[in-house]
Amino acid sequence: MKQPAINTFRPRMRVLNEEQAWAIHHAALEILENTGFIMEHEPTRRMLLEAGCRTDQEDRVLMPARLADAALKSAPRQIALYDQQGRRAMSLVDDNFYFGTGSDTIFTIDLETGERRRTVLQDSGNFAKLVDGLENIDFSMSMGNPEDAPIEEIYVHVFAAMVQNGNKPICFIADSGKDIAKIHEIACLVAGGEDALARRPFILNYSEAISPLRFPINVMEKLVFCARKRIPICLPSGCNAGGGGPSTLAGAMALGLAENLVGLTIHQLTNAGAPFLFAPNVSVLDMRHTVVSYGCTEWSLTQAALADMRDMIYKLPVWSFAGATDAKTVDAQAGAEGMLSIITAMLSRCNFIHDVGYIESGHTSSLEMVTLADELVAMSRYFVDGLRVDEDTLALDVIDRVARNVGKGAIFLNDEHTFKHFKTDLFHPKLADRSRFELWHENGAKEMQQRCTEKARKILVQHQVTPKSEAVLKGIEAILAHKTYQRI
Amino acid sequence: MSTQEIYNAILAFDEVSVKAKVRAELGAGTDIQTILDDGLVRAMDIVGERFSAGDLFIPEMLKSAQVMKAGLELIKPLLTTDQSRSKGTVVIGTVKGDQHDIGKNLVAMMLEGAGFKIVDLGVDVESEVFVKTAAEQKADVIALSSLLTTTMPAMEQTIRITKAANLAVKTIVGGAPVSQAFAHQIEADGYSADAPGTVKLVKELVG
Ligand code: B12
Repeated sequence: MKQPAINTFRPRMRVLNEEQAWAIHHAALEILENTGFIMEHEPTRRMLLEAGCRTDQEDRVLMPARLADAALKSAPRQIALYDQQGRRAMSLVDDNFYFGTGSDTIFTIDLETGERRRTVLQDSGNFAKLVDGLENIDFSMSMGNPEDAPIEEIYVHVFAAMVQNGNKPICFIADSGKDIAKIHEIACLVAGGEDALARRPFILNYSEAISPLRFPINVMEKLVFCARKRIPICLPSGCNAGGGGPSTLAGAMALGLAENLVGLTIHQLTNAGAPFLFAPNVSVLDMRHTVVSYGCTEWSLTQAALADMRDMIYKLPVWSFAGATDAKTVDAQAGAEGMLSIITAMLSRCNFIHDVGYIESGHTSSLEMVTLADELVAMSRYFVDGLRVDEDTLALDVIDRVARNVGKGAIFLNDEHTFKHFKTDLFHPKLADRSRFELWHENGAKEMQQRCTEKARKILVQHQVTPKSEAVLKGIEAILAHKTYQRI
Repeated sequence: MSTQEIYNAILAFDEVSVKAKVRAELGAGTDIQTILDDGLVRAMDIVGERFSAGDLFIPEMLKSAQVMKAGLELIKPLLTTDQSRSKGTVVIGTVKGDQHDIGKNLVAMMLEGAGFKIVDLGVDVESEVFVKTAAEQKADVIALSSLLTTTMPAMEQTIRITKAANLAVKTIVGGAPVSQAFAHQIEADGYSADAPGTVKLVKELVG
């Protein structure tokens, strides 16, 4: 009888036990019941009070645990995202992980001059194109807050730039209920109508609550808009240890989770079953330079903890970060910090992993860093796939064959088994250099950063993005110019 | 017994000890100006130096300011009006459209620790409110914080109407997207990249 195959163990990591996870969760609920929050959006406030919240003498809204529990139950466990051509691109659920860039940086490193300069619209287009051309990067964010776009509609313009230059799913930012409606309009155009977009969303909104425990009007407008339209949304807060939250990670997490649970509750009360991506951002405030870090080991630890809490308690896909750094250039620090966050995000099975390609603590974006991260993701991906053990991979017959014929010209390298397996069973780096010294020297003794620059340049020149139809492009131009256009 | 012990207690972040030592010096009849200069102020100078050298962290700097203040409270009633006058008034806030306040709060706290009176207007503050408050408070400095490129124009606007109001007030700006060049361009009187630098800057402008 044929025996069942040996299961492959896919390496993964846990950083919390059940007791720790529940203690943090209970702390979050206690924050909501005892400390409460400031709700500046009147309609939402009314809705919360009607649902069972009350206010204290300082007018803070206090929320009972049962509301959070109910919201956790009604939010969908899986969020499906599609690409801009309507093909299923991501299943945000359980153990699946996807990587993408970040939003709004102030500066970027110019690919031609190496200079750090303010970002322009073209940069957001370039990042979208690079993402489109990279195998291991799954979604786009704007990577810039361009100097040359009109400020009132800056998020509409960067969204258009991303749509014009790539087809992968987009995580977008908006300022308020106003510009988000315009962005939605462009998205409908791309997807072929509002229904089509709701059925096959390629967009996810990223908005933020204000730590500690404050919910401004514009943020609530976006949350309610997305809930109603069933656009997936995440609403992390910046409860960084020592800055937006206490300097101890458990407390900062509890605070961030409390803020997330408020967002989720409002979202589910508005439209039960609408998709919501969970988890706060818990990085640290560097105590020497007062910078919120994007390369610290603490952020990796807190998001691994959140992934554990997802499995044990929340059952909702989680938002996280990786492939970013505090370094000012794509140097050894960038590589080390980028890799630490990527491999741990993957080992802990974070789901929607953004900020790939951020350098200088999120103030600057780098096409080279995204390119480097693409390879780091591939390396980590190989690792996480685990080690397949079966008759074929144990290869006893091959060992026997070669060992017995060593003297007679047999080597593993030219064995049929090697030919069949080497390509798929081994990892072949594209950027990491393994050449012998002489060849490396002959080829210009290039460092990793140079190779990343060259690859990024090559993709920007050679990669062909499947273009949008003429009607869609014209429609976008019309929306940007505030003119009427032919609806699809 | 000497003012050296007060100095040492501040560097040890020990509030109880600072109070005890200040009381002891007062009891021993030590000159108030000596307690102030050789004990309290000298300790804060060295704290600043050690921070710049990277030997102290921000919470230690804030703590030492707190400890020094506890000692100062004890001698305050005995100071002449000249000695106890605040170094100046700073109206601070995050500009319209911007909700970031961690950096602004830190700047405010360190300025306060350095002896300035702080009027904190919070976040999302209208330009007019800065100017009105500065006039009412006879402020020496308006300090504007902005963390978003999209709210940088609100800084320019605030400085424009401040200038139009003809107040004897200096304007300073800061926050992640702000630079010395931008400060120059919008005709702000000063810029600093961080909180300790802001203390130095304000001392220069007001001193
Ligand atoms: C924490 C944080 C938040 C928190 C803020 C919580 C709070 N209570 O403040 C939350 C989550 C709410 C938030 C929201 C948003 N944020 Co934010 N945020 C940050 C983050 C991670 C850290 C900021 C911080 O607190 N730093 C720590 C403090 C101590 O440093 P600091 O603020 O720079 O202040 C120091 C100096 O700048 C200086 N300084 C500050 N003020 C002043 C004033 C004067 C007069 C002087 C002289 C000096 C000075 O001294 C300070 C102390 O040393 C930064 C990225 C980063 N690493 O900096 C993004 C960042 C600033 N945010 C950004 C964005 C885009 C947003 C959102 C639009 C995101 C969204 N999707 O909604 C919203 C906007 C909300 C709004 N309308 O304001 C962008 C801005 C990019 C840009 N081009 O403008 C950044 C750079 C991140 C990024 N790359 O996307 N954010």
